[in-house]
Amino acid sequence: MQPLANITPLKPAPRAGAIKVGNVGQVFKTSTQDVVALSDISLEVKPGRFVVLVGPSGCGKSTLLMMMAGLRQQTSGTILINDAPIPEPDPNRVGVVFQEASLFPWLTAEENVEFPLALRGVAKAERRAKAEDALKLVGLEGFGKRHPHELSGGMKQRVSIARGLVQDPPVLLMDEPFAALDEQTRMTMGDELLRIWAATGKTVVFVTHSLTEAVYLADEVIVMSARPGRIVDQLTIPLPRPRTYEMLSGDTFGTLRDRIWRHIRKSA
Amino acid sequence: MAGSLGIKVARIVIVVAVFAAWELLSRTGMVNPRLLPSASDTLATLWELLQRSSVRNDLAVTASEVLIAFILAVPVGAVIGFAIAENRYFAEVAKPLLFFAFSIPKSIFLPMFILVFGVGFSQKVGFGFFSTIFIVIMSTTTAVESVKVDHLTVARSYGATPLQTAWRVYLPSMLPVLLEALRISMIFNLTGVILAEMYASRDGIGHQIATWGENFQMKQLLAGVVMIAAIAMTFNELVRSVETRCSHWRT
Ligand SMILES: Nc1ncnc2c1ncn2[C@@H]1O[C@H](COP(=O)(O)OP(=O)(O)OP(=O)(O)O)[C@@H](O)[C@H]1O
Ligand SMILES: [Mg+2]
Repeated sequence: MQPLANITPLKPAPRAGAIKVGNVGQVFKTSTQDVVALSDISLEVKPGRFVVLVGPSGCGKSTLLMMMAGLRQQTSGTILINDAPIPEPDPNRVGVVFQEASLFPWLTAEENVEFPLALRGVAKAERRAKAEDALKLVGLEGFGKRHPHELSGGMKQRVSIARGLVQDPPVLLMDEPFAALDEQTRMTMGDELLRIWAATGKTVVFVTHSLTEAVYLADEVIVMSARPGRIVDQLTIPLPRPRTYEMLSGDTFGTLRDRIWRHIRKSA
Repeated sequence: MAGSLGIKVARIVIVVAVFAAWELLSRTGMVNPRLLPSASDTLATLWELLQRSSVRNDLAVTASEVLIAFILAVPVGAVIGFAIAENRYFAEVAKPLLFFAFSIPKSIFLPMFILVFGVGFSQKVGFGFFSTIFIVIMSTTTAVESVKVDHLTVARSYGATPLQTAWRVYLPSMLPVLLEALRISMIFNLTGVILAEMYASRDGIGHQIATWGENFQMKQLLAGVVMIAAIAMTFNELVRSVETRCSHWRT
């Protein structure tokens, strides 16, 4: 019998990536008062699902995402990723894609993508190969040597996504990744993301302010209320995949969008 | 640098014009040549002075003082600046004090340096160090504050250790500000050393200039000014060459 410590860790099960959030609350203590940012949030995301979080500004979407990433600890409740708590960031379980400008301007695209691997001391050749694969996956083959300022906004976000995917985590958290992009680029990036998601089978939690984007991308939309943030509705999007541009003008789409909008208007 | 040739020519024209005006003012007697020796006489004197081993020795002394003061002040100042920027409590306590200290003319402390160190190498290096360190501290705090929170969050989310964060995020983020600061620090440093030499010293080019001035040797005095200008420009270009090399690597 082998001693336990010598067994190399198992590869994550193929359908890993379940997220369980149970009665989570977050209170920020400031010098003047205690701010209840989130109150009693419970949700479950099945492996491989695409879930979108929407809600009025300041309702705690980013905070919730930060807690799922292990970047911040909840004041109460539990968060399980792959059935284990996440007391600190764990790039093997969770990749994070931030809003614009999170790339390091002094590194090239491929060096940015390699960054998570470099931190773990992965050998140069292996790093380069993985970064190349990731850049290819996001449609940026041949752009690896460019610096961020030589890339368009959409391309920069592709690099960010590649960086989030390079360690192949089962979960990808995205906080308004396309917020800074123009409408057309944003639509294209949505399609691109769906393609990448279909190709990799990741669990995605995606925050956005665009209701169209929410319905277009999601399997499930979670609607939150203004502070203290609570879940006020949870919609399953019955639209078939692949999603197409024509669906945007369909009745189902409009009905779902309206339903979300009414919640948001009420709490804003 | 587009149209750099035209710009270079324009610069040369300006420099030549300044020397020509200088020459003219002195030669025509518009300014008393005993007060303002002509440019050509000054340059001839400069050439002659540079042949003297005593002058060359003075230049070497000054250059080494400047270098040593700089090499000491920059890392010490950077570490203090970093500690201040990273520690909330330390920052709140020390920052206003530093601003006060920075605003005081450093020259008024020169007599104290002479009392403590005597007249000599360590007094001048000490005063150069003292003149430089505040600007280094302040620039470093500014540089630390220029690090983007987003970038730190990215590093954290990918599990960077504090050392990795320092090396891979802080340093490259701070570099442009730091390099700019380095150049300005060098100006403060040189000023400090020359001042210390002029005030009380037995050697160094600053001391020579003070002596020539007291003896009313205007040609030598002006030649000395040209020498110091040359030293200042050399050091400035030195730092700038590092700067361009780094910024090339950075962007
Ligand atoms: N570190 C903090 N200290 C105090 N309050 C905070 C802190 N971080 C967030 N908050 C507060 O918590 C609430 C939720 O913030 P959060 O950034 O999660 O909102 P959000 O839903 O992402 O908003 P947006 O849509 O504008 O991005 C806000 O009211 C915010 O002011
Ligand atoms: Mg947010």
